[in-house]
Amino acid sequence: MSHRPAEALYRLLMRPFAGLGQRLRHGSWRFRLAAAALTLVLLSGTGLLFAWSGLVPVAASSGHWPLTDWLLHFTMRSSVRTQSASITPPPLDDPSLVLKGAGHYATGCAFCHGAPGQERSLIVERMTPAPPFLPPRIAEWGPEELFWIVKNGIKFTAMPAWPALGREDEVWALVAFLEQLPGMSPQRYRELALGPGAAATVPRLQAPTDAPDALLADCARCHGDDGLGRGLGAYPKLAGQREAYLLASLRAYASGTRQSGIMQPIVAGLDDQALQALARHYAGLPAPATQEAPPAPPAQGEALARQGLPERGVPGCVHCHGPTSTPRNRQYPEIAGQYPGYLALQLQLFRDGLRGGSEYAHVMHSAARRLDDEQIEQLARYYGAQPWSSRDRPAEPR
Amino acid sequence: MTVGSLLIWALVIGLALYVTRAHPEAHGVRSARWLIIGGGVVFPTTVLTALLIYGLMLIPELRATGDIDRRIEVAGEQWWWRVRYPQENGEAVELANEIRLPLGERILFRLSSPDVIHSFWIPSLAGKVDMIPGRITELVVEPTRTGTFRGACAEYCGASHALMNFQVVVMEPDAYRDWLAHQATLARAPTAEQARRGQQAFLANGCGACHTVRGTPADGRLGPDLTHVGSRLGLGADALPNDREALIRWIGHTGEVKPDVRMPAFGMLPVDELAALAAYLSELE
Repeated sequence: MSHRPAEALYRLLMRPFAGLGQRLRHGSWRFRLAAAALTLVLLSGTGLLFAWSGLVPVAASSGHWPLTDWLLHFTMRSSVRTQSASITPPPLDDPSLVLKGAGHYATGCAFCHGAPGQERSLIVERMTPAPPFLPPRIAEWGPEELFWIVKNGIKFTAMPAWPALGREDEVWALVAFLEQLPGMSPQRYRELALGPGAAATVPRLQAPTDAPDALLADCARCHGDDGLGRGLGAYPKLAGQREAYLLASLRAYASGTRQSGIMQPIVAGLDDQALQALARHYAGLPAPATQEAPPAPPAQGEALARQGLPERGVPGCVHCHGPTSTPRNRQYPEIAGQYPGYLALQLQLFRDGLRGGSEYAHVMHSAARRLDDEQIEQLARYYGAQPWSSRDRPAEPR
Repeated sequence: MTVGSLLIWALVIGLALYVTRAHPEAHGVRSARWLIIGGGVVFPTTVLTALLIYGLMLIPELRATGDIDRRIEVAGEQWWWRVRYPQENGEAVELANEIRLPLGERILFRLSSPDVIHSFWIPSLAGKVDMIPGRITELVVEPTRTGTFRGACAEYCGASHALMNFQVVVMEPDAYRDWLAHQATLARAPTAEQARRGQQAFLANGCGACHTVRGTPADGRLGPDLTHVGSRLGLGADALPNDREALIRWIGHTGEVKPDVRMPAFGMLPVDELAALAAYLSELE
């Protein structure tokens, strides 16, 4: 007797749904569709309500449930595997690639991922997900997967995309370094990333300060104290370069008209006075004291540099880059004695439309557009073999 | 030929008047048959065949390359004209975007193209002849009066096809000889201070990688020879008039004047440097 009112209430509530099961099983398809849509609306409404309530846990301090953690990683790993399937890695054992990658690893990666002899910051260890300490983890990924991750970054983690997406050559340089990371000794790492003197401290994910000494120490990690780019062609020789060109290039990095995931983040934080001081400093550095006898310049490269390929619409290089008997625009770089590898890369980037620069960059786009790889190689070797003394260096106004 | 066509016209009109006004009644079967077969088949076939043979006989003389007085080589390039005047000493004077001809001489144009199909057309002097990559086409012209005529590319050849024009000047033979002798000389050294700075800017900025100014280190072969550019009637294949203002506009805004043009614009140069360049180039007469 006592539960009769409850039973009455139940029947009252259920009256609108009387025969629902019957109608769902035997009713018209329109009715079933409407029922399905209504269910969907109710469910998503409930979900929204839950999100609005503020009860969803987003605290990094609480971490993930093991199941969530597994599901997220499973999704991420599958996505990287599938999306990197069509990427073919270039040869990655080139020491200049490794060196270039090492310099950027110290600037942009080591703070979160650690390095040989350098633990991750305690701060980043409390992220969810925490960035892995990389040296022992690299072997879990293929080079093409590392390339994909470094280039694209990973959503919902703190892993950023490469700042200059067109510069895949830089991403590969970083991957070349990562491939060497397992088992690398702290001494080797410091030598690669901080330079032979290793006086510089590891920067902490921020633009170097404008204090000239600290700034130069940071530049010297890659460009060398002598501005000669540490010998392998990973970094250009800056010593004795024209001040106007250096300043225009730094400004181009700062404003983003010259694209580089390595240089842009460093230069973007500097004010124009610092850029001027840097340009002046490197322009004033002397030529190398002892110069190894340059290999004989390739004859084909010389003809190309002097005459270009008129029938293919390629102008000669010497009119802008020397050697000439008349003075040349101070905004045009000196390239005699530059590393051939560096020159070839710049020509490829110009040809492929991936390299901007100062307001003169479009002249190079039209000049390099019709060069093939062989011609680029010849030209780079020709200019690399030119003696430093062929540079046109009247005193610059200070 | 005019008299012949007038006679035929008078004959046809006369016949029409005869059958409609003079003898509107029906003709006999026999006379009608003669009229149709004779006037409709035999007569036109005879006349047209004779005209065709006469016309065909004229062609060899029109195209004859044996008794020509002079050759001129013209290459149509996107979007300008490279014009070479072979000399007796075997060398050629290379000029651009303007053609000068001596009155009364038979001139053979040898036409070519290094890139796409163009068509060489001086409407007042001759018909169109295509310029086809990989081969040489020929055209004989014999100008009969002096004057300046317009020439154009008559085959769509890319974005700036409509801006690929040139002027043709037919001159008295003596004046022509003097003109060509002057064009064959080296560029004169700049005199005015501004023009001197313009020459320095021309060499310093690498203009010589694409342009030749004979007598200076500028020896590029990609673009038009500028040794005597100041003497030309137009700029950029007649896209602009040839004055300093237009030179500044051309150098600084090349792609806006002529879309897709190969020459990169040098609008980043300081204004006074552009003015100096214009002064230098207009002095190259």
